[in-house]
Amino acid sequence: MQHLDLDRLVLLALSEPQEPADADHLAECAGCRHDLESLRHVAELGAEGPDLGSLPAPPERIWQRIEAGIAPAETRVVRPRRSRWLLPALAAAVLAVAGTVVVLQRAPAETVTARATLTPLATVPADAGGTVRVLSDGEMLVDVRNLPLTTGFHEVWLIDPDHPTKMIAIGNLAARPDATLPVPPGVDMNRYRLVDISDEPHDGDAAHSGHSLLRGTLTS
Amino acid sequence: MDSDEELAERLRDGDEKALRVAYDRHGATVLYLAQRLLGNRADAEDVTQLTFVAAWTGRDGFDPQRGTMLGWLLGIAKRKAVDRLRSAERYKRVAETVSAQVPAEDETERPDRIVDRLVVADELSRLPADQRRTLELAFFDDLTHPQIAEVTGLPLGTVKSHIRRGMASLRRRWEVDGAAFGSRSTRASRAL
Repeated sequence: MQHLDLDRLVLLALSEPQEPADADHLAECAGCRHDLESLRHVAELGAEGPDLGSLPAPPERIWQRIEAGIAPAETRVVRPRRSRWLLPALAAAVLAVAGTVVVLQRAPAETVTARATLTPLATVPADAGGTVRVLSDGEMLVDVRNLPLTTGFHEVWLIDPDHPTKMIAIGNLAARPDATLPVPPGVDMNRYRLVDISDEPHDGDAAHSGHSLLRGTLTS
Repeated sequence: MDSDEELAERLRDGDEKALRVAYDRHGATVLYLAQRLLGNRADAEDVTQLTFVAAWTGRDGFDPQRGTMLGWLLGIAKRKAVDRLRSAERYKRVAETVSAQVPAEDETERPDRIVDRLVVADELSRLPADQRRTLELAFFDDLTHPQIAEVTGLPLGTVKSHIRRGMASLRRRWEVDGAAFGSRSTRASRAL
């Protein structure tokens, strides 16, 4: 029996019409039928795409979560974050021993999942500003400088920039330039990504005063 | 560029940078699959994370002789996504208690089919440029061999051999990764 040659099978798989001779052979040859079927299936899959080269690179925040997920358990517990000065010192120590102590290489275990640079609004002195870092465990490190004095207090908010009336109060800065505030679990940081520092009077009104001082958008 | 074999070896040695290479190379495709299966971005990102963490934990289980790294990762991602869909279904059933209508499953959107499609697309992207170009013209533009010869300026015989070889590579890859990581069983096929 003369089988269909492979060029012919590929042509038929790519939707070339069958000649009577093709059909006759296919009717009696299971092997050629099987080959044609699988080639046809692969051609369909190929035609369905997608073009992998055009897929956008995945966001870095996923990688940061992967890294946190594969870190050994004991290093995940160590969270030196209360002092602003300890971190750089620790980083320097890590650099000094890099390659020799594996566990220390992973020591800065709190992964920053998002950060924002806070800039002053138009009514606020231009030297005011700050930074915000959100850690993988949901804590937010806020560090501000040169905020105008207030008779009330400074409150930190997360605002949905697409619906600016939607916002979450995160906490106040007390009198210190830096604060560690817990982000309520379950907050969608992709949505509530605008960090806002406001001046709040002691008026017993829990809503935003409308007097924003600094703002910045969280990015991963 | 590290081959899958080299990457597998570095992974087995506990080299986290190798996982990063795999993420850079295949993260977008894994995320795409998860998004297609789950239909929402947050779950898709979760499953992508779980997939690479599971790949790290289970790195000794990857055998480059049996299939490609991408096929392996997509197999893990598919299972993670299906698990998540199932628990979401259970949750929905409990929450609704009333008859939950399960939507008729679209044949072309079955998880295995999406995985197969990605594996074939990946192989297509790895083919030599001429083979890839001729196949793309056949797949996406639906051109006949003579039309492809005209568009590319290649002799008809060359077009035919590009397409034959390209199709053979795609089919081999589909069979190998499907047999190693998917639900299909290996089947004999004539060598092309």
